[in-house]
Amino acid sequence: MAAAGALTNINTDSMSGRLLLALRNGLLAALAMALLAFLFHSLLRPMIGSALVEETLTITLSRLFLVLLPIAAYLAAGTAVRNMEERHKALILALVAVTAVYALVVGAQALLGAGPFAPRPSLQFSARQTDEGILVEALEAGGAAELAGLQPGDIITAIRRDQVTLTELNQRVGLAEEDDPFRLRYIRNGEQDQLTVRAVLQTGVDNSAIVTGLVIALVIASLSIYWPGRTLPYILLAVSLLPMVVGYLWLIIATFSYRTRGILPLDGAGNIGGLTIENWGFLLGEDIAGLEFSIWQVTLNSFLLAVLMTAVVLLVSSMAGYALSRMSFAGRKFFLSFTLILHGFPAVTLLIPIFFILLNLGNLPLIGQLIGFNTLGGIALVMVAFDLPLGIWLMKGFFDHIPWDMERSALIDGASRWRVYREIVLPQIRPGLLALGIFAFIGGWNAFLIPQTYSIGAGTVNLPVFLNELIDETAPVDWNQVAAVGLFQLIPIFIFFVFAQEYLLNIYAGGTKGSS
Amino acid sequence: MTAYGFMAPAGLLVLLFFFLPVLIVLYLSLTNLASANFTSNLAEMEFIGLRNFQTLLNDQFAKKIFFNTIFYVLSTLALFNVTAALIVSLLTAHINRRAGFIFRALWILPRITTSTVYILIWRRMMAEAPFGIINQVNTALGWPTWNYGSENPWVFVILVNGFIGISFGMIIFTSAIESIPKDLMNASLVDGSSYLQRIRHVTLPLLRWPLLFVVTYQSLSLLTSFEQILLLTDGGPGLYRTEVWALTAFHRALSNYFGNTQWGYGSAFAVVLVIIGVVLAVVYMRVFRFDELVAEPRIEVL
Amino acid sequence: MEVELTNLSKKFGDVVGVEALDLDIRDGEFVAFLGPSGCGKTTTLLMLAGIYRPTTGTIRFGDRIVNQLQPRDRNIGMVFQSYALYPHMTVFGNIAYPLKLKKVPRQEQQRRVEAAAETMGIAHLLDRRPGQLSGGQQQRVALGRALVKEPDILLFDEPLSNLDARLRLTMRGEIRSLQKRLGITAIYVTHDQVEALTMADRIAVMNLGRLQAFATPDDLYERPPTKFIAGFVGNPPMNFLEIEFAQENGAMQLRSESLELGLPPEFAAAAAAADGAVTFGIRPEDISLDDYGPVSGEVFVVEPLGRDDLLDIIVGTEHFLLLADPKRKSRAGDRVRLSFDMTRAHFFDPRSELALSWK
Ligand SMILES: Nc1ncnc2c1ncn2[C@@H]1O[C@H](COP(=O)(O)OP(=O)(O)O)[C@@H](O)[C@H]1O
Ligand SMILES: [Mg+2]
Repeated sequence: MAAAGALTNINTDSMSGRLLLALRNGLLAALAMALLAFLFHSLLRPMIGSALVEETLTITLSRLFLVLLPIAAYLAAGTAVRNMEERHKALILALVAVTAVYALVVGAQALLGAGPFAPRPSLQFSARQTDEGILVEALEAGGAAELAGLQPGDIITAIRRDQVTLTELNQRVGLAEEDDPFRLRYIRNGEQDQLTVRAVLQTGVDNSAIVTGLVIALVIASLSIYWPGRTLPYILLAVSLLPMVVGYLWLIIATFSYRTRGILPLDGAGNIGGLTIENWGFLLGEDIAGLEFSIWQVTLNSFLLAVLMTAVVLLVSSMAGYALSRMSFAGRKFFLSFTLILHGFPAVTLLIPIFFILLNLGNLPLIGQLIGFNTLGGIALVMVAFDLPLGIWLMKGFFDHIPWDMERSALIDGASRWRVYREIVLPQIRPGLLALGIFAFIGGWNAFLIPQTYSIGAGTVNLPVFLNELIDETAPVDWNQVAAVGLFQLIPIFIFFVFAQEYLLNIYAGGTKGSS
Repeated sequence: MTAYGFMAPAGLLVLLFFFLPVLIVLYLSLTNLASANFTSNLAEMEFIGLRNFQTLLNDQFAKKIFFNTIFYVLSTLALFNVTAALIVSLLTAHINRRAGFIFRALWILPRITTSTVYILIWRRMMAEAPFGIINQVNTALGWPTWNYGSENPWVFVILVNGFIGISFGMIIFTSAIESIPKDLMNASLVDGSSYLQRIRHVTLPLLRWPLLFVVTYQSLSLLTSFEQILLLTDGGPGLYRTEVWALTAFHRALSNYFGNTQWGYGSAFAVVLVIIGVVLAVVYMRVFRFDELVAEPRIEVL
Repeated sequence: MEVELTNLSKKFGDVVGVEALDLDIRDGEFVAFLGPSGCGKTTTLLMLAGIYRPTTGTIRFGDRIVNQLQPRDRNIGMVFQSYALYPHMTVFGNIAYPLKLKKVPRQEQQRRVEAAAETMGIAHLLDRRPGQLSGGQQQRVALGRALVKEPDILLFDEPLSNLDARLRLTMRGEIRSLQKRLGITAIYVTHDQVEALTMADRIAVMNLGRLQAFATPDDLYERPPTKFIAGFVGNPPMNFLEIEFAQENGAMQLRSESLELGLPPEFAAAAAAADGAVTFGIRPEDISLDDYGPVSGEVFVVEPLGRDDLLDIIVGTEHFLLLADPKRKSRAGDRVRLSFDMTRAHFFDPRSELALSWK
């Protein structure tokens, strides 16, 4: 208890107190990260590993935490003293604390045989890169390479049939496990031949890693003192968004390129460049290889679906929301709690039975042609239904805020309930209608799973489904063509994004909290 | 009567697409309906009792899929839908208002991008060298390149879903953080507490309910949604490497990948999720006091 | 249009809104509902309008029972405290709305809206939206909208309480004269007794969902039937005092711990018959400072009201409110003598609080 008290009540006025604080924070951060790594590596992995689940992810994650461990520790140690008045004193404190934390981390690694103390896979020979290949310089006595029969002066050219350079060879060896075979092709005295070296785990301390680690730790500590704290959130946020930004950037670049390597457009000769607008030819009615749909038919379907869905969602949810907010009738409480339950209920689990509902609706005379299986109407209805719990709840929230007197006044003026709803109340919840409308339109325009599941013909294919067919059914896939269609689909979304962010942010939260 | 008139369209849709389907899926799970004996007429289906569920219990793959699902839900939830969402909302709440808003808005892009385009982007991110964007970075840095699709599919299944999942928690947490009285923050500033201390002692305790809400709500979403996995890996590579429960129901009953569609057996998978969904939905309503929002209306005509 | 309420009650679950209300309102009469906030005035009005359904009782307009009638079939005009204008319509649209609903032809609509706007003095505002109007202007629009459909009955729910004092004074007069001119039966809800006393032909005083009295302003003021009304009507309020009667030298007196007062002969006989305690009430204006008065006291607080000073005077252990000429420059602590105009005394039964009408 006393120790715990000492840890929480550190007197930060004195230098030694500060140092203690830095040490404590650094160690706590290190401990937290180590715990997380341990959790993923030693607890989660065996648990799910035994059940045949993927292991790579847990291993990747535990490694990630191990990589983050020192960084977190040094940052924590450094920031603990950063608000001291005298910067140079703070720096000295931080450096001392970080060195101490580093020593402890290295000590722990030495105890556990991890990090620079971990056994590394090796083929046990030294070599250098020459023009002809990898020139073997020396072999470790009794080592794996010598046992396999490699000799100094041999020139390694390939692993199996893959040409390798020294860097690549080292990479591969670094990733190997104990006993992994490497079939090396080599030239000895002008003769081609091959042999197999099995990787061994070599113990030993990687001194350069320890020194590099210390340097990094000290740099981080110094940075944590001098780095302006205000920019750190910006950097973290920007870095975390980087994958998305790069991804969308690729999409845009790809649509204007013949082909891409990573994010770079390439011309026929393999040089950067070669931009084109050919991928957009489909807009002028050019066929897209291997598909029989006209893009405009597909776009029209998408648009119809979105508009239909928006209109019906708005109408149906605002009507029900109005009744639930403003009318008293038997069963109102039941409907309200039912809507709430539906709101929490995952509708996608009902895809299978809805298939049968649509099949049977299709058998109805007349309207079966409009709302059955494989009709736009049927698809729209299902999607409307899935959006209803949110829509009704949202609308109810907006209606709740309209003064009762206004409605009473309209009733006394002679309006029926329908006209009150239509002429007095609806015009006043325009922001709500707009938000729900945007939400529904985006939902309809983006719909993939439901149209994909409940449609088979050209009459119902929309852009997302079309895009999927483009990827699935054509070989080889023309990714730049696909990107162009994708970006084409994305344009309205970008427009909404730019002009209606506020609404979008609100609606994705609003649905769960009533209104506003 | 008018009130029921207003309710009728919604009521009908709810009946058709929520209420009846729940009953039908229960019924289907008790039949052996498959492509061989397919009929859309419920009365003609062959009733086999609980046999589908017996099969399910003894299914080797069902076991793997079950653990896959738990693993997927927990990892995505822990890393992204909660932790990353919380970090993003804390970071954006403590920088310039306008900038914070823009960062949050950017985070909803994955959610409003249609799944096929979104997955298209990710597939090009993770493609092998020299096409993939990540591998291009690896090459530039002299690191080894990977075939992520076959070697590390889970990493990307989780990333792909996590990037979408962040926005929900982010919005909920942000509105909770913004509703924390400024006085409280100022008081702690006067105390001289550091940024981290303020988060630890002021912000986090007030986020308890939003946290609980996001955890429960998002675990159900993750448990039941499969659209992104369907498009990214379709449960592969290989047999069921990234297959999850909801996707299995879909595969068995709605996607005739193996030519033999098993409506009955697929429904048995779906029923498990439906039951979890119904139970949790009712629990939410009670725990989060949704019903307290219900007030009596102040007009009684009609 | 005559209005008759019989045994009208409204309960919201356990909460009593209005209970067993009986009321007869004559054609063309201006009736005020007066009572403290929450006493059921709005509830009654909304039942009349058809917005709330009565729990029990009947509502009769003329010779028709309207309980089952929709609001739109009752031909009522109503003005709300919040005005309840439709923010998305222009002033013209607002006033024309009832006519539009009645399918009145366009030209006729135009004519009648303009006429109503003229009457209300808002003809120049017809193109504006409610958000661009002042409170007083909004109130006129609301009134115009209530009048334009030529209703049989006009309902007002505290229409002036959102206005400033001056505007309230002018609007009071305007509403009153308009109603007289058009001869429409009007029911006017207010918690402000000055409004009720100055505007109404008759006042229905309500408390806790029950009707306390229904009488002309004069009657209510001069002959309050209950202690509640005596205290509620009149400003500053009536002074109350627990007293007993005593006989001395053949003359009746009323007596409390703090004072003794002689009774005029018209009360004497009745008082002689009363046994035990009685509540004595006397209005501030019926007590005067009089250097030769029979009662002595001390000024406790002086509250200048402008035209008068309101004095709180301690007599023994009792406090009396009274009005005095500011020129006297009364100050706290002054010793004064009082005389009571006992011909204007009121007596109430302390248990039932009903007036003992002895005159
Ligand atoms: N719609 C309602 N639901 C429940 N209680 C109500 C409702 N309307 C009024 N009440 C209650 O009825 C009583 C009378 O209210 P009201 O008629 O509005 O009083 P006021 O005389 O101030 O206009 C109050 O106690 C009020 O709380
Ligand atoms: Mg009221």
